[in-house]
Amino acid sequence: MSDWCDCFNFGISITKQASEQHKDVRVKSSSADLVTETDERVENLLISAIRNRYPLHRFIGEESVAAGEHLELTDTPTWIIDPIDGTVNFVHRFPFVAISIAFTVNKQTEFGIVYSCVEDKLFCAQRGGGAFLNGEPLHVSGQEDISRCLVVTEIGAERDDLALSIMTSNIFRLLTLPVHGVRALGTAAVDMCQVATGGADVYYHIGMHCWDIAASAIIVQEAGGVVMDTDGSQFDMMSRRVIAASSLVVAGRVADMIQAFPCRRDDEQPV
Amino acid sequence: MADQWQNAMDHAVAIARKAGEVVREALRGDRKVMTKSSSIDLVTQTDQKVEQLIIQSVKERFPAHRFIGEESVAAGEPCDLTDQPTWIIDPIDGTTNFVHAFPFVAVSIGFCVDKKVEFGVVYSCLEDKMFVARRGRGAFCNGEPLKVSDQEDIKRSIVVTEFGSNRDPDAVDRIFSSLRKIVCLPVHGVRSAGTAAINLCLVASGSVEAYYEIGIHVWDVAAGSLMVTEAGGVLLDVEGGDVDLMSRRIVAANNRAVAGQIIRQLNVFSPPRDDTLPSHE
Repeated sequence: MSDWCDCFNFGISITKQASEQHKDVRVKSSSADLVTETDERVENLLISAIRNRYPLHRFIGEESVAAGEHLELTDTPTWIIDPIDGTVNFVHRFPFVAISIAFTVNKQTEFGIVYSCVEDKLFCAQRGGGAFLNGEPLHVSGQEDISRCLVVTEIGAERDDLALSIMTSNIFRLLTLPVHGVRALGTAAVDMCQVATGGADVYYHIGMHCWDIAASAIIVQEAGGVVMDTDGSQFDMMSRRVIAASSLVVAGRVADMIQAFPCRRDDEQPV
Repeated sequence: MADQWQNAMDHAVAIARKAGEVVREALRGDRKVMTKSSSIDLVTQTDQKVEQLIIQSVKERFPAHRFIGEESVAAGEPCDLTDQPTWIIDPIDGTTNFVHAFPFVAVSIGFCVDKKVEFGVVYSCLEDKMFVARRGRGAFCNGEPLKVSDQEDIKRSIVVTEFGSNRDPDAVDRIFSSLRKIVCLPVHGVRSAGTAAINLCLVASGSVEAYYEIGIHVWDVAAGSLMVTEAGGVLLDVEGGDVDLMSRRIVAANNRAVAGQIIRQLNVFSPPRDDTLPSHE
């Protein structure tokens, strides 16, 4: 267990270092090319720092996978990394951009770190150790009444007709329950952390990747919340579907109401 | 050249900051929630307290000035914009966010003379961001000048909008139909922070290219609307004509090119105007 504490503390320090890279690029300009460069640079920085200290550990990183690395979660200690969650936000200087790092052993998440860089908010949790924001303990709202819930999700990330229809009809169904409101900040990691703080009661999304949510999932759980698949079954970070909620009741209610669209699993072998 | 409204503006900034402290203090405790026109049109004692705080302090300094305040109007005061110097106040823009402690809550104060907004103050309390705009003299956030984005292509734009608190099925249908068309343009993304005042400041800051909504009130947008124009942006009605702050409809964008592309997608409707006399039942 103490080994994972070392990893956790190390994870926090390299996260903070990596966020300096975000600032560097923002000052210059913003184009899609530059963003990809920053994504890669930050991810490489994180991976080489970790490899240096823990040579036997494995990695699942957004940019490495994009470059063709095989994505498979094994029992080996594994770091799951998103160097810039909220890429569109980053390009526009819309102030929600996060570095997300989760660490698994035997396929179980041992800790998660989400650093919302512009806000300077560090969310983190270790399994069994609670969740924190800048050192202050976090608790979900505990809300059990769906009609008093504030819902967070993503809008407009879809590009095909079916996904778009399902996305809008999901929001429509929830909105007209009614719920108190629907919000969207543009990064799964930060959006999910709003559930952990109690500032929102439920987050759901279909289509994001394991690196977007692995860290915030344990943060929500350690804040007393519930994480599950959109069909109500057990959360599976490779499924590309998640509900994170203040209570089992609310999570279940949302699972009943929303539909998913088909998404290839993150760990599916390419054809 | 001396600015005859400088004192009023300084007062607005000071009282907005004070109001922000009241909001932050209230967030540390429980918030008792009431409803207004429907089960999701929320209001709290803090809304009412903050509005009174602002109105009282302004009345002491400027006894001849008039007011349009969200909670006063809810309590039966007329929503009547004359040529007189008028303070248009939303004590807590983002009340639903406030109830939940979702981090976007703003105090919004717009000041009109001859029915024109002379200055606007939006204090985003939890971010500690003081947005200020003075007609003809620019817009600022914590002293730094604001400038809209120079993006002309809607396909590379972020659009902000809200679903609002109107659950009338026809209105909701139109809201969703507009949203679908906007998303399909496609745009880079759609965001919802939950407060019109802050959404307008996001346009003024250049973080998003446009904001549109049907259903807001004059107190939500009076201050933020000046923020957008002073940062170089444009305001239009959802059908493309001149904006009318009492019409409950607004499109705010970095430029006419982007605004036009949004307007073409909107399925519009007309909520009862803010300056409509209430019907007596």
